Amino acid sequence: MKLSRRDFLKATAASSALMAVGSPMAFAADDKADKWVKGVCRFCGTGCGVMVGIHNGRAVQIKGDPNNHNAGFLCLKGALMVPIIYAKERVTDPMIRKNGKLTKVSWDEALNYTADKFKSVLKADGPGAVAYYGSGQALTEETYLASKIFKAGLKSNNVEGNPRLCMASAVGGYVTTYGKDEPMGSYDDIDAASCIFIIGSNTSECHPILFKRIAKRKQADPNVKIIVVDPRRTNTARIADLHVPFKPGTDLAILNAMAYHIIDEELDNSRFHGKYVNFMTNDKKKVDFEAYRKFLEDYTPEKAEKITGVKAATIRTMATWFAESPATMSLWCMGINQRIRGVWANNLISNLHLLTGHIGKPGATPFSLTGQPNACGGVRDTGGLSHLLPAGRLIKKKENRNEMEKLWGLPQDSLNPKPGLHTVALYNAIGEGKVKAVLMLCTNPAQSLPNVNKHRKALAREDTFLCLIEAFADAETMKFADVVLPPAFWCEREGVYGCSERRYALVDKAIEPPGQCRESVHILVDLAKRMDVDPKLVPYKSAEDVWNEWRKVSRPTPYNFYGMTRDRLRKASGIRWPCPTEDHPGTKIRYVRGKDPNVPADHPNKYFFYGKPDGKAVVWMRPYKGAAEEPDAAYPMVLTTGRVIDHWHTGTMTMKVPELKKSFPAAYVEVNTRDAKAKGINNGDIIKLTTRRGAMDLPARVSDVCLPGLVFVPFHYADKLINKLTLDAFDPGSKQPEYKICAVKIEKA
Amino acid sequence: MAQTPQYRKSLTLRHWIFLIAAALAILVILAFGYVNAAFPKVRCEAFKHLEAPEASSDCYTCHQKTSPKTAQDWLESKHGVNLVKCFVCHGQPDGKGSVPWAVKPDVDKTCRKCHDPSIRKMQKKYGADRDCSECHPFHNNSLHHAAYEKTKTKTTIE
Repeated sequence: MKLSRRDFLKATAASSALMAVGSPMAFAADDKADKWVKGVCRFCGTGCGVMVGIHNGRAVQIKGDPNNHNAGFLCLKGALMVPIIYAKERVTDPMIRKNGKLTKVSWDEALNYTADKFKSVLKADGPGAVAYYGSGQALTEETYLASKIFKAGLKSNNVEGNPRLCMASAVGGYVTTYGKDEPMGSYDDIDAASCIFIIGSNTSECHPILFKRIAKRKQADPNVKIIVVDPRRTNTARIADLHVPFKPGTDLAILNAMAYHIIDEELDNSRFHGKYVNFMTNDKKKVDFEAYRKFLEDYTPEKAEKITGVKAATIRTMATWFAESPATMSLWCMGINQRIRGVWANNLISNLHLLTGHIGKPGATPFSLTGQPNACGGVRDTGGLSHLLPAGRLIKKKENRNEMEKLWGLPQDSLNPKPGLHTVALYNAIGEGKVKAVLMLCTNPAQSLPNVNKHRKALAREDTFLCLIEAFADAETMKFADVVLPPAFWCEREGVYGCSERRYALVDKAIEPPGQCRESVHILVDLAKRMDVDPKLVPYKSAEDVWNEWRKVSRPTPYNFYGMTRDRLRKASGIRWPCPTEDHPGTKIRYVRGKDPNVPADHPNKYFFYGKPDGKAVVWMRPYKGAAEEPDAAYPMVLTTGRVIDHWHTGTMTMKVPELKKSFPAAYVEVNTRDAKAKGINNGDIIKLTTRRGAMDLPARVSDVCLPGLVFVPFHYADKLINKLTLDAFDPGSKQPEYKICAVKIEKA
Repeated sequence: MAQTPQYRKSLTLRHWIFLIAAALAILVILAFGYVNAAFPKVRCEAFKHLEAPEASSDCYTCHQKTSPKTAQDWLESKHGVNLVKCFVCHGQPDGKGSVPWAVKPDVDKTCRKCHDPSIRKMQKKYGADRDCSECHPFHNNSLHHAAYEKTKTKTTIE
């Protein structure tokens, strides 16, 4: 072995350093699990089944659940969840801010203090001045309950949650096209698809186990075509036959151009769209196919090339593969949803499926991915947003309100008929002093909201009362809390998670919560009673009681999962709704006779889009619309934000796992080689990013991942809140903000 | 010091040689002894791990230079394509992570996290508790290995 003098000196220094910090082999002694408890991963919307290994009452190991859709596999985050449970940052006592400092108090004091604040605000300013801000990470039972307490108990429809920031446009897309929310297909379609069209999703890093399934499909059959449409050449593009980078914000033009080519080349399925589709203009006028064809003449591949920067021939190839494949599946996520016209983009993806008939068959489905473990089941389905009531019912519809009043035992017409404030409006109202008391559960808006400086100012207002149910003391939002209540975390209590494929699965209680932590369901019931909510509205002793009521509430709707008893969920690794009876196996494909229990067995047509009055889905004529803030001379580039595989959202969980933290320890900005060269930027140089809302210094990672003109920054890091730079313009339909695009200027700091 | 110039001259050189040699020997033995105990089979390269302790799980960035073959094998393997990164199986080199640091991962603690069903199947088939890597070298299971070519289904698009 050769050692230079320099190496030797380094080695000597290093060895003494090592000795100083203690033995590097100090990991846990033998901690073999002697009991395994079934659950669902705490991270993304894939909703992988996990088994928590218990030894002496402590969680010691995690492995994949072989009976769930992930077939035992886990991604790197899921496999390393244990240290999060035992993080030293866990909140274990109720706290009240006294003299500017959060001080430990008793449960009684904290709950009474919170209830008094809410009661005094309600008395002085009415129900419009209180709000609940929840999460796609809370349990289904928790969101259902919180929504009921606020809408039925306090008569306030200001019930929102972070799913507004991640999937509201997908809801808007599904509802406007098919009449009902949620995908009609399932993950099983990946195994049968012969063309997989991924647009606006870095599946590999954000939904790794689904990406694994896609890669497996590609491996099993090399003729399967994979198209990845993304301005960044991500790891997802590694397995793609075709990676299509495009000018950010021009996706609507690409999708319309694909539709043009499909019709122009007569690759459409006129038997399908002739029978099951209505063509509609942007202002909801029914038109014929010919009018739609005319509308598309503005989007010939050549015209689209000028808008999008994608070669006309590439658009033709994509459209041909999409249409000619025996079964095509689309997958999309935040790249489509977090846009000023996210609902339209969702509609246009569905258009391609409706034109070609790639729908309702194994492997053929438009499938929206979600980012959180329980955004679908917990928030979309239970109606945990300001315009919704449970199971797809709408606040603005009188018959829906009356139905819920009956189910909840309320007098007729007693629910507040006016929809509440959507997320951006809610935080604006807090900033204006119109909303004065907010209850937050399991979310970290002080880091995750767009244009966050503005909204942090709102939260910091002296007269804003903020009660936070939060497990981690280092969450940014903690800085603004007046009261903090410690919840039992993840597998410390039982409850249901519902993932992207309509699958509801039970997270069983595996261990006892630490300190004074209590189940959020109990906290909510207790708090509601102290706020003088009618005790008959919250008669629950456990999450199971809430679930059993929720099952009944779903029964008269197409969501019907009455057959998912708690006992079944304890045994099965998740069941997909609709599931009307206890012997129903769950539903893989919706809207199809013989597959969806909502379609009568003797229905004359194979397909029945029962969410629409005439049973037909809609092909929408949505024109091209660019981003809210396009690059210009002063801010010539585009800033986009997103995730890396190692971290999740605001990092309050993944930063607790040493391996994950040290894999991506600090924020950075990804710059294209060409832009870097033009500006003399080297890898590691500090770059100053400036948008109209703020500036930030970040080290550069120079690579070819981003398209020239685009920079990318992950949003996980509390010390570099990139959301101070993002824009809070939102989709007028879904009210979802456009995180993905804003104009930025970059220079060497 | 009160030595004569001759005395100093005749002994200093030998002294110095002896002292340096002894110090060197002790340091080398200590350093290598420690490193060999702490990082079995990796030896002195492991010292590089101390250069950026805050990024000690960002293995690939350095290992594509220090051990390019292993890094490339991983990148092209199924684990690489699916971004099952080094630390999931090997832990982090300071051993203070949640995964035990090991060159050859422990079957029970590591492989079973994802491959429990297959391990059970293999145990049933072959009885003994074997090390997975004997037949399935970790980094060489390419996404494009034989299984890729052999399946042809009817779902052809041409």
